[in-house]
Amino acid sequence: MKISTRGRYGLRAIIDLAMHMGEGRVSLGGISERQDLSLNYLESIFAVLKRAGIVSGMAGAQGGYLLAVPPEQITLQQILETLEGSLSVGEEQEGEETDLRRFLREHVWNAIDAAVEEALCSTTLADMVERIDLKHRSTDSAYL
Amino acid sequence: MKLSTKSRYALEGLFYMAVAGREDAVNIKEIAKETNLSAAYLEQIFFKLKQAGIVRTRRGAKGGFVFDRPLADISVGQVIRAVEGSLVPVKCVESLSACKSKVRYSCVSRQVWVELSNAIARTADRITLEQLQKEWYEEQKGGSSR
Repeated sequence: MKISTRGRYGLRAIIDLAMHMGEGRVSLGGISERQDLSLNYLESIFAVLKRAGIVSGMAGAQGGYLLAVPPEQITLQQILETLEGSLSVGEEQEGEETDLRRFLREHVWNAIDAAVEEALCSTTLADMVERIDLKHRSTDSAYL
Repeated sequence: MKLSTKSRYALEGLFYMAVAGREDAVNIKEIAKETNLSAAYLEQIFFKLKQAGIVRTRRGAKGGFVFDRPLADISVGQVIRAVEGSLVPVKCVESLSACKSKVRYSCVSRQVWVELSNAIARTADRITLEQLQKEWYEEQKGGSSR
């Protein structure tokens, strides 16, 4: 049960974008520097996010991206499903369906999927940015 | 975020043992036959379950596997951990040093992975073989559901 590189890097990148959007289009170069992610990889991730209608903008030296939808309307579930495909822990119908297998799918794997979905649907990109802000502020004030 | 076949087969094998309703040991050949899984693969998986103290072997003519603790003390989470090593979907949850990024100390997404891991663990640790066995028997008694 693993989240792929694309899911991990992509989530980091889009949170960074949401954090810096106040200043207008966010360049992938900036995200690359702040998040220690390769520019090439970011280009491919943003192509995927753009196709899914989560970000808008363009690649290239003069390029930059914005969220296509307000961050309050983008859940972590949407982002991760876009990057990872289905988040289900269960199989895609492989092998033969036995009674035991059906029972375990209904009673175990679907229950885990529901917990995952609940955790990810209840958090938006705006929530993430707010939480990170709060954390920074509390760390800052610790030095006052 | 697929689980490996190891976890699913481990749970299927154990669940078969739990609902086979037998006092004596169950051998791999029977489990393989009844679950339609490969005996060689199940053998590897049950070796790990044995190491984790979930099952033990019984020797002799009627040899095979028996549970090494009460079904109430065997959760889905423990079964997955026994065969996969861990339940977490991203390594940094267990150890930040597993992440090689320069920005790991100020990571903006780690919290998400921590919460996701917690959600998975809470659910997987709550479901025990005893409970599944009970629900299975109830469904069988109800009978008409399928």
